[in-house]
Amino acid sequence: MGIMNTLLRSVTWWNSQTLNTQLFTWRNGVKVGDDDQGNIYYRNRDDSKRWVIFNGECEATRVSADWHGWLHQTFDEPPTERAMDHKVWEKPHQENLTGTALAYAPAGSIRRANPVERRDYEAWTPE
Amino acid sequence: MTDLRKIIIDDNEVEVEGAMTLIQACEVAGIEVPRFCYHERLSIAGNCRMCLVEVVGGPPKPAASCAMQVRDLRPGPEGQPPVVKTNSPMVKKAREGVMEFLLINHPLDCPICDQGGECDLQDQAMAYGISGSRFDLPKRASDDLELGPLVATTMTRCISCTRCVRFTSEVAGILTMGQTGRGEDAEITTYLGATLDSNLQGNIIDLCPVGALTSKPYAFSARPWELTKTESIDVMDALGANIRVDTKGREVMRILPRNHDGVNEEWITDKTRFVWDGLRRQRLDAPYVRVDGKLRAVSWGEALTAAADAMKGKKIAGLIGDLVPVEAAYALKQMIEGQGGHVECRTDGSKLPAGNRSGYVGTATIEDIDNAEMIQLIGTNPRLESPVLNARIRKAWARGANVGLIGEAVDLTYDYHHVGTDRAALSEMMEHDFGKVLEVPSVVIVGQGALNEADGLSVLAAVMKFAADTNSKLLVLHTAASRVGTMDIGAITKGGMEKTLDGAEVVYNLGADEIEIDKGTFVIYQGSHGDRGAHRADIILPGAAYTEESGLFVNTEGRPQMAQRASFPPGEAKENWAILRALSAELGAVLPFDNLGGLRAALVAEVPHLGKIDQVPVNEWEHLKLRPMGKADFRGIVGDYYLTNPITRASEVMAELSAGVKARAQKPMAAE
Repeated sequence: MGIMNTLLRSVTWWNSQTLNTQLFTWRNGVKVGDDDQGNIYYRNRDDSKRWVIFNGECEATRVSADWHGWLHQTFDEPPTERAMDHKVWEKPHQENLTGTALAYAPAGSIRRANPVERRDYEAWTPE
Repeated sequence: MTDLRKIIIDDNEVEVEGAMTLIQACEVAGIEVPRFCYHERLSIAGNCRMCLVEVVGGPPKPAASCAMQVRDLRPGPEGQPPVVKTNSPMVKKAREGVMEFLLINHPLDCPICDQGGECDLQDQAMAYGISGSRFDLPKRASDDLELGPLVATTMTRCISCTRCVRFTSEVAGILTMGQTGRGEDAEITTYLGATLDSNLQGNIIDLCPVGALTSKPYAFSARPWELTKTESIDVMDALGANIRVDTKGREVMRILPRNHDGVNEEWITDKTRFVWDGLRRQRLDAPYVRVDGKLRAVSWGEALTAAADAMKGKKIAGLIGDLVPVEAAYALKQMIEGQGGHVECRTDGSKLPAGNRSGYVGTATIEDIDNAEMIQLIGTNPRLESPVLNARIRKAWARGANVGLIGEAVDLTYDYHHVGTDRAALSEMMEHDFGKVLEVPSVVIVGQGALNEADGLSVLAAVMKFAADTNSKLLVLHTAASRVGTMDIGAITKGGMEKTLDGAEVVYNLGADEIEIDKGTFVIYQGSHGDRGAHRADIILPGAAYTEESGLFVNTEGRPQMAQRASFPPGEAKENWAILRALSAELGAVLPFDNLGGLRAALVAEVPHLGKIDQVPVNEWEHLKLRPMGKADFRGIVGDYYLTNPITRASEVMAELSAGVKARAQKPMAAE
């Protein structure tokens, strides 16, 4: 929260929140809860509007399924009041990594540092 | 006896044989008639009704052109030729009706069907299909059959053309498939749910006009339009079946037959068709040299130097395996004989006579079987040695030819007169009076099982005398694709294998994996697969397999055919002739050719008939001296049909088929 951050937020929209959003949240927002990543969820007083302030980059897929339902008015209660059931086989929520360095690349992809050599045959080895 | 009739088809007047069917007459006139059930090499069923045409002046209904003969048509009132129409509104309407009926119960599987893109029903629906279906009742469904590891079935797609039933019972000679039920309940089934027990069963995949029968090993791996098609020659047996190799990238995806009336008609064996997975496994892809008892991968330069050092000044023997093209064998012969060594191609020990082409090829062509009245098999089991040839003999038998057999009494899928099992039976038969046989065309087929024992040459001499006495043509049935070609270039040593290996310090083994080499001999192995030969070798030079280089193969009737390169050899492997050319430079005795063209020119200059591709040369008859034969029974040469060469031994499909044959032999089907 330095001067640099404020300056960045005044000219870009994708770093946490703009100054205007901050003012709007300060005036109308009622905090509902936050998630593991530190994203904070708000609603206005009559609950006609729900929104999220990201902790860091604004990336819609960082909202997990638990909060996504509440945010889009699918569930009435937020997961802080009524937790969503999770199966044992469910993996933890992960944002969309497409376009980043961490994006998935198949074993033989040239985007990998050591791509697996492509073999369309099985070589014989002695012994 | 010709009975030529004039007939007018769509305003074209053609003169055709009266016995021809209308569909054949249309073909002569250059008009294609759509069909599903009609196949020119099978009997006529006439049950798909797609080939309907209009016969002007005939009954007021369309006629099935596949089942009506030209001579059955009535001429006009003033003797004008009969008129047939294939494009009239009546014909179009009739065919559209047939197509609509066929599509009633045909599922809309095309996007997930392996036949998609090469499906007769798809193609003909483009011309005769209507845009929508008027059928709103439930579609018929039927259970899939289990036909074994090769043919996948989706029987709801079946349009009941019965081509598979007719092929298996008429050509393959197994009575397992049939059709049961009538009308909507008609279904293709197998007898008691049995799997197919034939080594020609893969052909029903090609015959099926829809996707009811598809290839199991090839399932869902490629679409026909993304494959590169190369016309080539098969090397799995000595018949030299014409094949088409379909590749995607470097991989062979499937192998299909090509039509050649003189060789394989349009059938190929399952070994030919499904061996391609063996081309991907156990491949030699780098040169190896044995250092301190262990094989170590080295560069080509090191391997060639090591090989040249090992060969210099030593007594060398060159052995030529069963899958080697003539060019490589010729290069090996030039190189080894230049170093004072000997080469030998008869690695199975057969006693084929050098230089006497009438002795090691014979005088008959495969087509001679088609009009032979008498066929005498000696010491051969063609069902294993060349299943497509066996189907041809079966065709002759079905036409009325008599077949006799001396040798093991095996099931050849047709009836034969079993003369005896041993050499005495042959001598006895030669004493007979041949009165009747002399007047009719006849063929004598002798197998390698009769020629690979100590008295092989005496047996061949007796067989040749028998053929001459009966005025028969002789066909020597080989089992190795390379054999006739290597015999033609004279890659043999007097005295056979024993003499060649006797005292040899270095053996240059060019793809011969079915032999044992004494301990203490230095072995250089050149081949495509890591099989017995590679395990025994001290130096391994990786070569190309038969789909990976262009080469000449001479088939069992003596017909030179050119195999083409469909893909490239794996890893470091090189074409066989090029390896030998490079090694000759290392030895200091450079072979006088720098490319395959130069090699072929030298080859043809020495053996002119090898330049006449696809022509069977006529062989001068040269008698062999009669000598007393031994006493033993004739023994079969093919042990395990599905595992006869290194490529098949690397194939998983072939291993499964071989295991299936063994299981079937142990547990015969329960008798009713």
